[in-house]
Parts: sequence; structure tokens; C-alpha cells
Amino acid sequence: MSDFQLLTSLWLIPLAGSIGVLFAPKKSEHLVKWIALAICTVTFLISLLAFGAYTAPGDSSPMASTLRDRAENNLILTKLEGNGIVSSPKDLDVDGDGMINKLEITRCGMTPEVFDKIDKDKDGKLSSAEYAGLGVGDLVVREPWIPYFNIQYYLGLDGISLSLVLLTGLTSLLACGASWKIEKQVKGYYSLFLLLLASMMGVFMALDMFLFYIFFEVMLLPMYFLIAIWGGPNREYAAIKFLLFTLFGSVFILVGILILYYYGGDAEAMLGGNPFKAHSFDSIWVARAASETTYYGSYIQKWVFSLMLIGFIVKLPSFPFHTWLPDAHVEAPTPISMILAGVLLKIGGYGLIRLAWPLAPVGAYELATPVAAIGVFSIIYGALVAMAQTDFKKLVAYSSVSHMGYVTLGMAAVSLTADPKYYSYGVNGAMFMMIAHGITSAGMFFMVGVIYDRLHTRDLNKLGGLFQPMPLYGFASFIIFFGSMGLPGLCGFIAEVFVILGAFNFNYKLAILAATAVILTAGYILWTLQRVFLGPNQEHKHQPDLDMREWSISVPLIVLTVVLGVAPQWSLLNWMGPSVDNVVQAITSAKGMPSPTAKPADEKKIARPQTNSSVDPALSMINR
Amino acid sequence: MNDWQINLYLAAIAIPLAAFVVQILGGRWLKELNAHIATAAIGTSFVLSLIGFVDYFVIEAPKHPVAHHHAEAEGESEGHKTETASSTAKTTDAKTTPGPLVWKGRFDWVSVGGGIQIPGRESTKSLTIPWEFAIDSLSAIMYLMVTLIATSIHVYSMGYMHGDRRYPRFFAYLSLFCFSMLALVGSANLFMVFMSWELVGVCSYLLIGHWYEEKKNADAANKAFIVNRVGDVGMLIGLGLLWTNLGTFNISEINHSLRNKAGELNIVSTESSSVVELRNQETGEPIVDGWTGKPRQIATWALVLAGLGVFAGCVGKSAQFPLHVWLPDAMAGPTPVSALIHAATMVAAGVYLVGRFFPLFTDEVLLTIGYAGGITLFIAATIAMVQVDYKKVLAYSTVSQLGYMMLGLGVGGWSAGLFHLLTHAFFKALLFLCAGSVYHSVHTYDMHVLGGLRKKMPRTATTMLIGTLAISGVPLFSGFYSKDAILASSLKFVSERPSHFLLFVLPTVGAAITAFYMFRLWLLLFYGESRSAKKDAHGHGHDHGHGHGHGDHHHDDPVAHAHESESIMTIPLMVLAAFAVFVGWPITILPFAEPIVEQMLLYSSPLPPIELGIFHWIAMGFSLVVAATGIGLAFAFYAWKTFDAKKFAESFQPLYRLFSAKWYFDEIYDLLLVKRTLDLAVAMRGFDKYVVDGVVNGAAMITVWASKLDGLFDKFAVDKLVNLFGDFIYLLGDRGRWIQTGRLRNYLMVLTVAVFGLFLGVVVWIQRG
Repeated sequence: MSDFQLLTSLWLIPLAGSIGVLFAPKKSEHLVKWIALAICTVTFLISLLAFGAYTAPGDSSPMASTLRDRAENNLILTKLEGNGIVSSPKDLDVDGDGMINKLEITRCGMTPEVFDKIDKDKDGKLSSAEYAGLGVGDLVVREPWIPYFNIQYYLGLDGISLSLVLLTGLTSLLACGASWKIEKQVKGYYSLFLLLLASMMGVFMALDMFLFYIFFEVMLLPMYFLIAIWGGPNREYAAIKFLLFTLFGSVFILVGILILYYYGGDAEAMLGGNPFKAHSFDSIWVARAASETTYYGSYIQKWVFSLMLIGFIVKLPSFPFHTWLPDAHVEAPTPISMILAGVLLKIGGYGLIRLAWPLAPVGAYELATPVAAIGVFSIIYGALVAMAQTDFKKLVAYSSVSHMGYVTLGMAAVSLTADPKYYSYGVNGAMFMMIAHGITSAGMFFMVGVIYDRLHTRDLNKLGGLFQPMPLYGFASFIIFFGSMGLPGLCGFIAEVFVILGAFNFNYKLAILAATAVILTAGYILWTLQRVFLGPNQEHKHQPDLDMREWSISVPLIVLTVVLGVAPQWSLLNWMGPSVDNVVQAITSAKGMPSPTAKPADEKKIARPQTNSSVDPALSMINR
Repeated sequence: MNDWQINLYLAAIAIPLAAFVVQILGGRWLKELNAHIATAAIGTSFVLSLIGFVDYFVIEAPKHPVAHHHAEAEGESEGHKTETASSTAKTTDAKTTPGPLVWKGRFDWVSVGGGIQIPGRESTKSLTIPWEFAIDSLSAIMYLMVTLIATSIHVYSMGYMHGDRRYPRFFAYLSLFCFSMLALVGSANLFMVFMSWELVGVCSYLLIGHWYEEKKNADAANKAFIVNRVGDVGMLIGLGLLWTNLGTFNISEINHSLRNKAGELNIVSTESSSVVELRNQETGEPIVDGWTGKPRQIATWALVLAGLGVFAGCVGKSAQFPLHVWLPDAMAGPTPVSALIHAATMVAAGVYLVGRFFPLFTDEVLLTIGYAGGITLFIAATIAMVQVDYKKVLAYSTVSQLGYMMLGLGVGGWSAGLFHLLTHAFFKALLFLCAGSVYHSVHTYDMHVLGGLRKKMPRTATTMLIGTLAISGVPLFSGFYSKDAILASSLKFVSERPSHFLLFVLPTVGAAITAFYMFRLWLLLFYGESRSAKKDAHGHGHDHGHGHGHGDHHHDDPVAHAHESESIMTIPLMVLAAFAVFVGWPITILPFAEPIVEQMLLYSSPLPPIELGIFHWIAMGFSLVVAATGIGLAFAFYAWKTFDAKKFAESFQPLYRLFSAKWYFDEIYDLLLVKRTLDLAVAMRGFDKYVVDGVVNGAAMITVWASKLDGLFDKFAVDKLVNLFGDFIYLLGDRGRWIQTGRLRNYLMVLTVAVFGLFLGVVVWIQRG
């Protein structure tokens, strides 16, 4: 399967399914459920295929080179095929020997250095095998889409996005299983569900900011209807609130993107040999400009960062933009809550890691302390409000606010004086928190759903003693809740500790405050477990334990909670860590950072091997 | 390559974990077999630890003599003199004095940041958090102690817990606990200590809540976990400070680089700041940070804070003042759990960590440790004196004895504190198991309805007497030697710094109280005749108990039905009793030489040991006098009835009330901390609901109002203007009407306008600026 097919099918298959189920015959609700489940399974399998391709052993595996390198190699490919001079590489072959030599390649503006890079056997000629090997199997897709605005159909995967794509695939599959009891307008439900899946996959893969924005906006529509139609009693209020909050945030993101596109900055800024002139939605390319040139000054970066930060922490959500979350969760049906907590919130964090910080590293650095403070405040605030809840679902919702605070804190904890590897712990912790929280919070919402199905109440004061009639349910819940609490050996611990350790390198006071929150977390989790599972059991003596369907949804979550906690390196950091390191390196070595120690200016200038900077003439299409 | 011995110890850690996994996954089918699996697992760990122990002390250690101590010197009393001489000699000749034998093992667990490449920087190695294990004499002894006691308690539990409704799960949790505890003892880095630290905590939580149907038990479990988490925050802070500044979690690396060979901190002071520099202990060269290229150092205040933080963790785990409140409540768990976790092993982990990380603590921190221990031992002893529930007496006694250990460490008696940890583990596990045996037979914890049990339960009575003699500090029993070592250390400390005289007074007075309440306990349980039998004849009235629940046994005489427990329970008692006697013995039996276990400990002492000399003799005098006083008073009150305990209590009413109310700690914490936190949580919920959400809803309402006003304006003003301005204005009005068709669309309209407005504004502004 080519990169194009692989990445495109990840969002196109669910999209096709979304339209397809609408044409299912009437009264075929059972069929629709199975079709949807099959599509979710296929999508998850494709994401596993992408994982296999990414982590394949050897030098040619995508993991061995950075997303930036892979993206730029693909640019050459696009250039060769679509610059108007030639329609296929064969057209370049002037002397008709079946090979492309250096002289011929210059016709499309490629420099000899790039040529040498592609020319693996150093025979001065580009065989079709060498040409064909270019950009193949590197999990990046790049096609011109709206050339006038330089908008591309541009998808790519690295460790950061792949981990979230896998999470999306898994959570959607489990949520699809959890939707089995939906009886109302089944076709419409599954159609929207699959549309949601398609757009989430698209968001995590898009590298073109315009494309990202489109997927981001498309996601709102199914989510709005899923809450507004299949939700609880107060569903319309919750759905509108969700929609408006997210729209409000996305406006800020859009403005940020447009500023980056139109801003006319430092005219002398050179990026890889050519003057950089913005007018690009290529997030990788613009991030490189932000990191390696002074095109976007610290003033404009502060603006861009602030706009994107607001946009993404609405989605995350973080104090003070979090109040849509508890309402949306309480009203949403169980599977939608799982998706909402498991995947949708992660889009906020992903936006911070992929866009907000890399696109404006200097601005982010200058605002780091207040941003970290927002993170710490969210952690403590969310935990306190969670502690005061009596609605089981609302409690879990506020715990999400608390946990997502760690993402903000981990990202913000940049220190320029110390070894950037400490900051890498913070960012890895933030990423780990997203995955860990994706698993535990989806699990927690599922657990709430299980009990709501049986007892039709979520009032913690009316529950109690459920461990005795439902031992399997108790076992699953204890592991998942302990995982969320940050017990060593389970996934939440790694995330919390990494972020706190990273934060110590940044600001002692904030780190100590964040550390104290673990008491509150333990407080509300244990108190909840006590109110649900322990104590005397008078009213609910004969509840059935988890059935086969519920148990098979719980098992993957339990297993992942344990595996990620025991072997974080093997299961996640090995293949996610290098991508995080690239982000960390770009942020900490960004040009224009206030220099805390007197270092020679050229030392930080270019953080890339020299060969990479020579791709640039081929990039002139982007910079026209 | 790891030594084979480390693999031996790793197996000892892993086997209980494997047993746990088998039990938790297969518990449904294995049922009763769980108990055998768990016992076999910990038994195997014991055998492995024993092999390691013998290999360490008999075969390997003699090949690695340490100059500052005569580990292999078979207890010659002149050991101390040569030791001082050789430690001065050592400083001149570094190469001939290898350190104590340590078996090490290391596995990379997490490594991050290896992909970062900054030109001009050498350091591209990733920053790693490894799993590190180290076995020195302290851990070898701890392994033997933990596995021996745990094995005894597993065997005992097979009798005690028999027929329990969650019998299989009980043993699964015990196995998990054994794994976590052994991992903790074997850890060579603070991060791993922290992980196993939390894991033993969660085992404690699960086992305290074993009978979770009663709210009281579930509350106690929560309290234990949360109070421990308070301490753990301190530990997390210590963890962060040390890692950020020193770049490692390895305990012995930190220990060795903070101080020079004489045991002094490597302080570098300038006019404005004071820092501790990390140096190679052997060569004295500074350790350079690979990133900045400068010597690694930590501000002295940060080192103090880190020390206090790590100690805070120990305060929580070892139930020291002010976090001691969870341990007495933890007695809600089954008694074998109290013996294993809440007396012998887990609660001693705090003391163990202070000992393990001893060089980290600056003088200020050590003084804090000493006072925390002193206050704890005194408060807990006073409370133990007036308890009616015999298990609670033992609980407070545990708190008090842990205070002794902390005090011993705080005054610089490294080996004294840890020695007491070991002797205490044996006699306190014994005492708890005896208490369990009594409860198993009489089904009440109220001492005042019991009495005269020695005839019915001779084995329990005898073994418990041995435990009581040991804890009271009677010569020839283990507690005597370790308590003497602590008193001698504190006497020496006080002789040098007389203003801290309390650090000697508190433990001395405490020793008398200990002897008193322990003999009170023993006499009330085993001496004389059953008080219930008497009470039934004479109607009501027992001495100063205030009706602490007697449960269903109010009208029965529990003693009448009492019987000795079966052998599966009494044999572990006898094993532990034997250890409670001889584990403190010096090799020559005479009470003057250094106890053999203390010598073994000293072999791995992280700092040069202190010279006690004459203080041993003075302390021993004090110790004998106070023990005799305490025991005498107990007999006077409860055996010979020279004094009437009830009247005595009445004449000291305020004090008596303070002690029985446990100094009101629970009430104060509840009022000042728990209630206030909950209030804050409720206030925050209100803030969230009314202020944060209020702003949101308010903004929505204003928008709706604005659109309505706009609509009215449109209807009355614009429509009129239409007639005046013709088609152009009509168009505008038409647009305006379109706005008000629906709420959602109105918002979207406002938003669209806002996007372009904001965007245009910003672009224009930026272009200008």
C-alpha cells in the first residue's frame, strides 16, 4: 500500500462508511451496527498497519528520519511531478538513457546537493529505482490542492501523531462496541459517529494548516448532533455550549494561521539558501522558519502563540475555558463521552505540541511562566471541583480538566540554561499524559456508563458496596481509576511524574504546587471508589456483573493501563520519544531566544545537518 | 554484567510478583490454593535471601575489609580504638581502602532525550531513569528479616484467616506486598524507592480495607493512603530537587558525592550564596555536568529542602508526628496484616530510607528527624498507656518505637536506629501475632473483659511474655541492646549539645512508659482471673474503660470459651520468639560487646561511625533503672493491686482525658485540614458554577439581548429610514432582519464578523507596528 493509499484510507474509509450506512435498507439497524463495527475495526487495523510501517526496523523506516526530512523529500517529489515543466520524471530524461543526471535535474531547479543525497550509489545518475525510492514508504503524502493559495493535500505521521492516531482508532472501536445499546435513529447515529472518526483521523494527520483547520471544523458538526440528539435531558444547552466554545476557540486558531501566512517579516531571513517569504500553510516549513530564522520576531510570535494557545486550551480544556466539558460529558451518551474524553480533548494538546509551540517558540518561551501557571491552576482547580461533585460523570469530567493541566505544564516548562533533555521529560510527560488519559478516561466513562445502564443513576450518594455483586467490574474499575490516580506501575504515574520532574527544572514553586495536587487526586479518586464499591450494600445486592461485551471493551483498556505503566519505554517512548525530541530541539534551539548565557551566536544558528539545507531551491514553489 | 548474587536477589523479588499475577488472574479457580502459592513463593524468597546472606557475610565480605570498621573482627571490644586510628590513616592512603562489598544490578527503564542534537554540544546521551538494585550488608539483613517474618506470617495467616470470605484475595495482596517491599529494600535509586514506596502503600490500602463492608474499615484505608500521600508529596519534591540539580537518582552516588571521606559536606561558600558541590569522594575532584561543563552543585537551602522532603515521605510511611494518625486506624485490617505491614516491615521503610540516604541529611534536617522521633515516641507512649483495646496499645507502641528509631538516626546513631528497626521487627511482629492469637480465641479486643488467659493459652502467654520483655528493654532480650544503643547515641549527642537535652529525656521517660504499658497489657490479658466472670457475678463495673464496644460478648465470658490456637499459628510465634531473644545478642553473650547484628550493619555504614565508649555504660544504667520502674509500676497497679488504676486515673483527669483522646490530633486535623479542604472544594464548585459558567451564560445572554435590540432597532428605526433612503437602505434592513431569525445563526453571524474584524484589525495593526 502506498503512503497515499494508507494515509488517505485512514480518513476516507470512515467517511465512506458514514455516507454508506445512510443507504442501508430500512429496519436493518442490526446490520448498520455490524457495518459500523467493521469499519471501525478496519480503520484501527489500518492504523496498526501504519504503526508497523513506521516502526519497521532498518535505516529506511520512517522512524529513522525526522518528519521534517521526510516532508522535505516529498516536496522534491511534488516538485518533480507537478511544477509545470515536466509531467513525469521521464520527461526530464533528455538524452533518453533511462536515467536522470545532474544536468537534467537542474531543469526543475533541484540543486546538485539534493541530487547527491538522492543518488544513493553515487554514480552521478538517478536511476528510476532511486527516483522511485524517494519519498516512498515514509508516511508522508503531499499533493498540490489549491495552488493559488499554496494549499496542499498534505498528511504525515510521526511518533506524536501516530500515537494519537492509534489511540483514536482504538477508542473509536471500543466506543462503537459501547454504542450497542443505542436504539434511537441508529443509522443517523452511526453515520455521524463515523464522520467524527474520519475527521479526528484527519486532524491528527494533517500537516497543512488549512487542511488541519478544515478537519478541525468538520469535527464539530457530528459532535454537536451526537450530543444534541442522543444526549441526556439538558442536551440542547450542552450541545450549543460545546459548539460555541469550540467555534470561539477555532476563530483564534484561524487568525493565528492567517497571521503566519500573511505576515511580512524580516526580509533578510534566509531559509535554506532562499529568502523566506511566508505565504505557506505548511506547518513543518513555517515551524522551521520560526525556529531557524528571525523572520517572525518575538513580538509577532507572542501574538501567534497567544491566539493558538487560547484556541487549543478551549479544546484541551483548561481553566477558564473548561465549563463546556462537564455539561457536554454529563449530557452525552456513554460512547460519545468516551470519544470526547479519549480523543477530542487530545486535539487541544496535539495542537499545542504540533502547532502552538513549534510555530512560535520564542513567543511561547516569553509567555512560559503564565502559561505554566494556568496549567498548575487547572490541575489544582479541576481536582478540587471534582472532589465536590456528587454526579459520577461530572466528577470524571472535572478530573479531565485536572489531568489536562499537566499537558499545559509539561509543554510550558522550557528552561534554556539547563540540558534540554529535562525539558524533553516535560514534553514526553505531556504526550504520555494524553495517551494515558485517553485510555483511563475512556475507561472511566465506560465504567460510569456500565453502572448507569444498570441502576439509572449517577448519584454517588446512592451507590455503594458494588464490589460484592460485581467483582469483575470492581477489578476493572480499580485498575483504571488507580491508573488515573497515578499509581506506580500504571500509566498515569509516568505522565504525572515526568511532567513534575520536568517542571522542577523550570520553576520550583510551580512544580511544588503541581506536586501537592497528587494529594487531591488521591482524595477524590479514593473517595469515589469508596462511595461506589466499598461500604455496606443494601440496595443493589443482585446486579449482574460485566457481560461478555462489556468485559471485552474493558480488557484492552486494563491491559494498556498496566503495560504503559510497567514498560513505558518499550510500549511508547521508544517510537514516540524521537519525534518529541525533534520538537524539543526545534523549540530550545530556536533563533531569537533570549540568550541566558553568553554563547557564540553561530552556535545555535542551524540545528540541522548541512545537507538538509540544500533542498531549498526546490522549495521555491512554496515561497513564490 | 551483574553478579550472580544480584540475580539471586532479583529472583527473590520476582517470585512473589509472579505468585501475585497467578493468584489475581487465577484466583477464581485456584481458591484456597492461593494461600499455598503465596506461602511457597515467599518461602522461596526466604531461602534465596538466606543463601545471599550467608554468601555475603561468611564468604564474600571478609574478602573486602573496610578500614573504618571491623566487620569480620568477631566482636573484639578494642574494635573502636583501631577503627579511629585506621580512619585517620585512610585519608592519607585512598587506594588501599576499598569500600564495603556491594552487589549491583542495573537495567535501563526509561531514557528520554537521546534524539536531541544541538551543534557544538557533546552530550547527546539520553537522560535515563534506570532500575537499579544494590545489596550491601544493610539490605542483605533486611531481606532476611523481611522474608523470614513474612514467611512466618503467611503460615500463621493460613490458620488465622481460614474460612474468611475473601481468603484467596487476601493472599494475593500479601504476595503483591512482599514483592513491593522486597523491591523497596533492594532499590538503589530514589525513583525506584518512590515507586515501590507507593506500591507498598496501595497494598496497605487494599489490606486495611479487606473487610470493606464496614464503612469504618474503608475510611481507615482511605486515611492511610491519603495521609501517606501527604508525605509522598514531600518525597516527590525531594525527588525533583535532587534530580534537577544532581542529575541522578542513584542513592549511593549522591551519598558519595555530597560528602568527603571524613563525612563533611562539600560546602562552597561565597559572600552571597552557599552551595554544596559534588565531588568524587576518593579523589576529591568535582563532578562536571556534561551539559553546562560546570561542576555539579546544589544550593545548600535546596539540599536542606530536598532532605526535608525525603524525610517527609519517611514521616508519612513510618507514622511519625505529625502524620502518625493513620497507623492506629490501620488496625482495622486483619491482624496478620497489622503484624507484617503495620509493625514489622512497611512502616519501618521510612526509617530504612533515612538510614539508606543518611549522608543526604544536613545537620538541620537531622535535628528535625531527632525531634520528630522524640515527640512521636513520647506522644504515642502516653496514648498507649491508657488504651483499652489491646491491638491499639500495640499500634501506638509501634508508633512510639518507630519514634525511637528516628531519634536514634537523628542524633547520628546510624547503626543504633537501624539495629532497633531489626529487633523491633521481630518482637513487634511476635506481639501482634500473639494479639491475633488471643483475638482468634476470645473474639474481643477489650482488655477489661479478659484476664487469666495464661492457663488457657500457655504458648501464646509465654511467647507474648518474651515479646513484652524484649520491648521493655530487659537484659538478654533483643530490645535491650538496641534501645541501649539509641540511648547511648542520644546521650553522646546531648553531651555535645546540651541545649537539646530533651532528645535524651524523652526516650528515657518513654522507655519507662513503654515498660509500664506493655506489662499492663500482658498482665491484663494473662494474669489473674477473667474479669468478665467476676463482672457477671458482681453486676457492672470495670476500671477506667469507657464502654469501648464489647460487641456481642457483653454477657458472655469470652475467657471461658478460650482455647490455645492451633499449631499452624503457634509455631510461627515460637520461631519469632526465638528471634526476639537472640537477634540482639553480642557474640560473647556478655552485654558489653557490640551486638553482632550491629557490627554487620556497621560494615556498610555510609559515614564513619561515632565512638560511644563510656556513654554505653551510662545509658545502660539509665535504661535498666527506667525499665525496672516501668515494670514495677505495672505490677503494682495490675498484679499486686498496690494502687487502684481507676482512682489514679481520676486524680489526673485532664491528662487522662488528653491521652485517651489521642491528644485530639484527629479532631484538629479534621477541623483544620479535612473540613477546610472540602469547604474549598465546595467553594470552587460554586465558583465554577456561578462565576465561570455565569460569565459564559451572561455573555450568551448579552448577545441574545443585543440581537433582540438590534431587531427592535431594525423594526422601528431602520424600517422608518427605509422610506427615506430608498432601496439602498431597504437592502440593509433586509440583512438586518436576517440576523434575528435564530439564536444559533445569530451567534455565527457575530462570530463571522468578529473573525474578519479581529483579523483585519490585527493585520492592520501589525503592518503599522
